[in-house]
Amino acid sequence: MEMNLGLAKTILSTAVSKAKETGKVCSIAIVDEKGWLVALHRMDGAPIPTAEIARDKAWTAATFRIPSAEVSQFGDPKVPGYGFNVQNWNERLTTIPGGMPILNEGRLIGAIGVCSETPKEDVALCKKVIEEIGQRT
Amino acid sequence: MKELTLELALKMLEAAERWAKDIAGFSCSIAVVDKAGAVIAVHRMDGAAMATTDIAIEKAWTAVAFKMPTLMGSRWLDPRNMGKLMGDHAMGMIGRGKGRLCFIPGGIPVTDEENEVIGAIGCSGVPSGVGDISDTSVSQAGVTALYE
Repeated sequence: MEMNLGLAKTILSTAVSKAKETGKVCSIAIVDEKGWLVALHRMDGAPIPTAEIARDKAWTAATFRIPSAEVSQFGDPKVPGYGFNVQNWNERLTTIPGGMPILNEGRLIGAIGVCSETPKEDVALCKKVIEEIGQRT
Repeated sequence: MKELTLELALKMLEAAERWAKDIAGFSCSIAVVDKAGAVIAVHRMDGAAMATTDIAIEKAWTAVAFKMPTLMGSRWLDPRNMGKLMGDHAMGMIGRGKGRLCFIPGGIPVTDEENEVIGAIGCSGVPSGVGDISDTSVSQAGVTALYE
């Protein structure tokens, strides 16, 4: 299975209905395996910057092939190879939790980025959505 | 209809995508923004170039910011119209708007019953000059669906 607009729409509608269940509003971005935006939805009432932050999280997860929260390990002074500026390396990179790679049979096909009120909720929603569509992260 | 919701935005995108696929025969990106110029929804159709999402968003933003189709602005910057329309000042537009200003045809504002701008739709990825098929006509299909 490859990332395409049809799959992205399915993921987005799943995510929006899951978000509605919890009564939260959020922005959700889906990118392909190279980090390019495929689809983005901002729910009614979600603050304007959430759209761009969701996209940043998805980009980070897709290009690093790990959840966006784990990218901060590269900026840890205690690990070998320290020196990578995880905050200002480029304008997209973010270490805020809420971006998750989407894998199909062990191969990366894209990533999802969610931005709502707290990163904890974002991660929970990401996991729920990926579980729902039958992929793993 | 006082403001664009995600539901209305998806209705517009659906119609515009159908038009682009079935009638125009091109893959493109389509974006809908609200009256603040902020993105509500973006879709990149399969096969459309990767950079088209950002250009579609910028076209929609420009349509809201200037309250007019980007086709109008593209006329100001047309070298054949230099010294007419906007006098000699048209080139001052280039590089404005924090890099977001995009006067390429394809962005159309959406208005409510009182003619107030409530948002815009932008499309990028369709080569223009193929008869009636252009970015503008794809966006127009989205706008038409909203008023149906």
